[in-house]
Amino acid sequence: MSDRTPRRLRYFGIVRPDVPADVDDELSFHIQMRIDRNLALGLTPDEARRDAVERFGDVAVVRSALVRHDQRQHAGERRAEWVADVVQDLRFGWRALRRAPAFTIAAALTLALGIGANTAIFSVLNAVVLQPLPYAHPDRLVTLGQGSSGEYLALRDRLRTVTDLAEWVPTTDPVDDGRDALRLTGVAVTPNLMPLLGVAPMLGRGFAPSEGTPGGDHVVVLSFATWRSQFGGARDVVGRKVTLEGLPYSVIGVMPPSFRYPRADVQYWMPYVIDPKNIGLMWGVGGKEFVGRLAPNATLDQARREVHTVWPSLRTLNPVWDPGAGYRRDATATPLKSDVVGASGPLLWMLFGATLLVLLIACVNVANLLLARATARERDLTVRAALGGGRGRLMRQLMTEGVLLAMIGAAAGAAIAVLTVRAVVAAVPTGLPRANEISVSGVVLAFALVTSMGTGIVFSVVPALRATSAAARASGSMLGRRGWGSRSHTRVSGWLVGGEIALAVMLVVGSLLLVRSFAALRSIEPGFDPTHVIAARISAPEATYAPGTERLATFYAEVLDRARAMPGVSDAALVDQLSLAAPLQGLAIRVHGQYEDVTRQLPFIDHVQTVSPEYFATMGIPLVRGRAFTDDDRAGQPPVAIVSQSVARKFWPSGDAVGQRIGYPYESPWFTVVGIVPDTKQDSLRDTSNVTIYMPWSQRTQKVGSELWLVARATGDPRAAGAQIRRIVHDIDRGVPVSDVRTMDDVVSGSVVGARLTAALVTAFALVALALGAVGIFGVMSYVVSERRHEMGLRIALGASAGAVVNLIVGRALRLAAVGTVAGLACAFIAMRPLQRWLYGVSPMDPVTYAGVSIVFAVVALVASYVPARRAARANPASAMRDAAPGAGA
Amino acid sequence: MPTSREPGDLLQGTLRILILKSLLLGRAHGYAISRWIEDTTGDVLRIEEGSLYPALRRLQDRGLVTSEWGVSENNRRARYYTITRAGRAVLRAEASIWLEYSRAVARVLRAEPSLA
Repeated sequence: MSDRTPRRLRYFGIVRPDVPADVDDELSFHIQMRIDRNLALGLTPDEARRDAVERFGDVAVVRSALVRHDQRQHAGERRAEWVADVVQDLRFGWRALRRAPAFTIAAALTLALGIGANTAIFSVLNAVVLQPLPYAHPDRLVTLGQGSSGEYLALRDRLRTVTDLAEWVPTTDPVDDGRDALRLTGVAVTPNLMPLLGVAPMLGRGFAPSEGTPGGDHVVVLSFATWRSQFGGARDVVGRKVTLEGLPYSVIGVMPPSFRYPRADVQYWMPYVIDPKNIGLMWGVGGKEFVGRLAPNATLDQARREVHTVWPSLRTLNPVWDPGAGYRRDATATPLKSDVVGASGPLLWMLFGATLLVLLIACVNVANLLLARATARERDLTVRAALGGGRGRLMRQLMTEGVLLAMIGAAAGAAIAVLTVRAVVAAVPTGLPRANEISVSGVVLAFALVTSMGTGIVFSVVPALRATSAAARASGSMLGRRGWGSRSHTRVSGWLVGGEIALAVMLVVGSLLLVRSFAALRSIEPGFDPTHVIAARISAPEATYAPGTERLATFYAEVLDRARAMPGVSDAALVDQLSLAAPLQGLAIRVHGQYEDVTRQLPFIDHVQTVSPEYFATMGIPLVRGRAFTDDDRAGQPPVAIVSQSVARKFWPSGDAVGQRIGYPYESPWFTVVGIVPDTKQDSLRDTSNVTIYMPWSQRTQKVGSELWLVARATGDPRAAGAQIRRIVHDIDRGVPVSDVRTMDDVVSGSVVGARLTAALVTAFALVALALGAVGIFGVMSYVVSERRHEMGLRIALGASAGAVVNLIVGRALRLAAVGTVAGLACAFIAMRPLQRWLYGVSPMDPVTYAGVSIVFAVVALVASYVPARRAARANPASAMRDAAPGAGA
Repeated sequence: MPTSREPGDLLQGTLRILILKSLLLGRAHGYAISRWIEDTTGDVLRIEEGSLYPALRRLQDRGLVTSEWGVSENNRRARYYTITRAGRAVLRAEASIWLEYSRAVARVLRAEPSLA
């Protein structure tokens, strides 16, 4: 083999130097020459050979040394050549891209949109779903659901598959840090929670076991964010006093920024004090979350089975009441992560699927552009092939160009992703779990890089293969401009655009379904009139304003009086749980004459609101029957209640609910139903359970703290009233914080923010897909027109009208769109089924949506092909035919 | 040619000079180089011919010679070596040192009492 073997041949491994054979050639030549000379000098063949070998020395040693040397040298050369080739390809590719700026910008922008959307959603998916929770061995953590402290202690002692179990309960407490009255969101936790999760405070210490028992010190651990915002990040914060619920607490530690258990908005942790002597509290109050760590050799399945058998067996332990035969039959253990991620997991996977479709469409579009470009450069490639540019070399060149293009797209896409992720995180302040962990990390950028590299390679290989095979075929004959089958290009492009349209159709169908279901959701009447109503949370500290005290009643009476006296306010009222702000707490009840035995299972009322008399007037809830509460319905008077129509229908379907009696789930005085109001939406607009019982605040002290919402109906803009509410509360007692001042309109739309965000995101993706589809149709039609100009010219010369030519082109585009649309609708019909869980009031097979999408794509095809069609119709017959004459351009 | 004389002791550097010098006449294959050395020195400086090739590789690595495949005078495939510009420069520098050295040694040997 010659040293001058063309480099590209050796690079592609077509011709590799055979080093040992070359060395043998060289050495045997030497020895043979010496033998020849010796023979010429008259030696016998034997002598001649012996002398030659003797003069040479040890042939084997020399040979192996040379082989070793040469092999090393060739390897080095190949590496150097490869690098040089890549650099050359990149330089050449960059020049080629700069020569066609319109193509480059179009392709890079397309890819940037696809990669950007994909990377943005992947960042969210990665942070929320894929990344492990920031705790020690997070896969060993489980939640058991909610229960009472009595159940907690019993489970902790009995479960063998769970080594450690902690309980926690949210506490939202008025906090006075010495400057302002604040309402902070905290969690009361058993002292073992943080060691169980495997996270230590960054400053100070965690809770001692004694701090979780009665009589322990009042201590609090701050979140990193609270430490920074409320205490200026002071290192000496440990040991300082803060006032929680009017009581002094010592700060004992600060958690690291990554620790946000159980939610991102937690501002402090305090020990949950379990008092086994308080039987009622131990067994009567549930709502505590249990989180545990699996025993070292236990599996999740074993834990599930054990919890499923052990928890129902606790039924007999309850000293307060018999919870019934169905008690905890559904008890199980859930991995902590799926509990934290919750419904966001499937949603994010769905969004990720949508962005994958966008990326796929972008890739198809770029492939089409590359194909058209390869066709346009066909002569250039033919010439290079004829001049000895090997096929492999040409392919590598085209692929390098594709990768280069993809890299530009990826850089722009990464920028888009960074901006989008910020927007997404800003748009979901609380709805998304682990939102604080979302960032465009190295993993995400690697994902973008790999995606774009793959895109660049895969979608330049097809055009490159076609172009180079064409070039190879044509290189001998140097055909003119029409060279290799432009028809076949059109056919491939047609398939690509058809596929692109099918993908876009799926996305548009999905987005329309989500938009329609969001509209359906928004059109649901909440049952109250939210316009002109403002709500504000007033958190009276329990230490100064204990529940059920005269002082608390006086305070809120004063607030209510002053609120009603505010200019521009027509009505004001108090309520303990605001509708549509957060899921409401419910209550099991006795019903006179139907469910009176407290040892049996009692009916559960999902929503119980404790209100002041003006609540119904303020919220615009009309009375169906009976009367509203009055100021006379106060403590010491006969207890009264108002029920929603569903409650009335449920318990007294034939008779009149007014005058009937209900009660707390234990022996206590009966409440008389005095009025019936329409059903209202309480937890969300999608509520299916509309049972609500209202009780007068002045008569109800059970389970109601000192924190209430003030709702006020304004005659004008309710926002102005919001600022006034803060002022009047501050005037009465500057130690009472006012928070979450929001109009009811905002509260209502806030309750569907998730649906709106989903619809908005998918719609954005669908619009991108639609735009790319339109560009695809436009591109392929433009190409068809330019290819068939002489045919068009001929038709016009033969008397075809401009209209007929336009029809021809537009008709072809419509056929293309029709095929793509039908394929896309068929795919959507199957693919949209999983969308069901996010839809409301619309079927995944909604015919209106499918018909609408068909029309949209017909219009898009019409518009996108009209411009090229007009161009074809304007073709000057003479010049079109002359330009297109075979060989004319060669 | 068969000979009974012991082969001369050749230093590495001497072989380098001999090879480079032989290539001044034009490109040559390994056998031609060994023949040129043999003929020019009247078979005084006998080299082990096998050592020629590693030496050529070393010269090639340093960029003092290049090689290419060609066809020999008797129509056989042979590897030809050519001296480079750098090779000439090295040869010039080493030759002047060598000449100075050998002159100095000659002067010593001719000094009284002369051995020559």
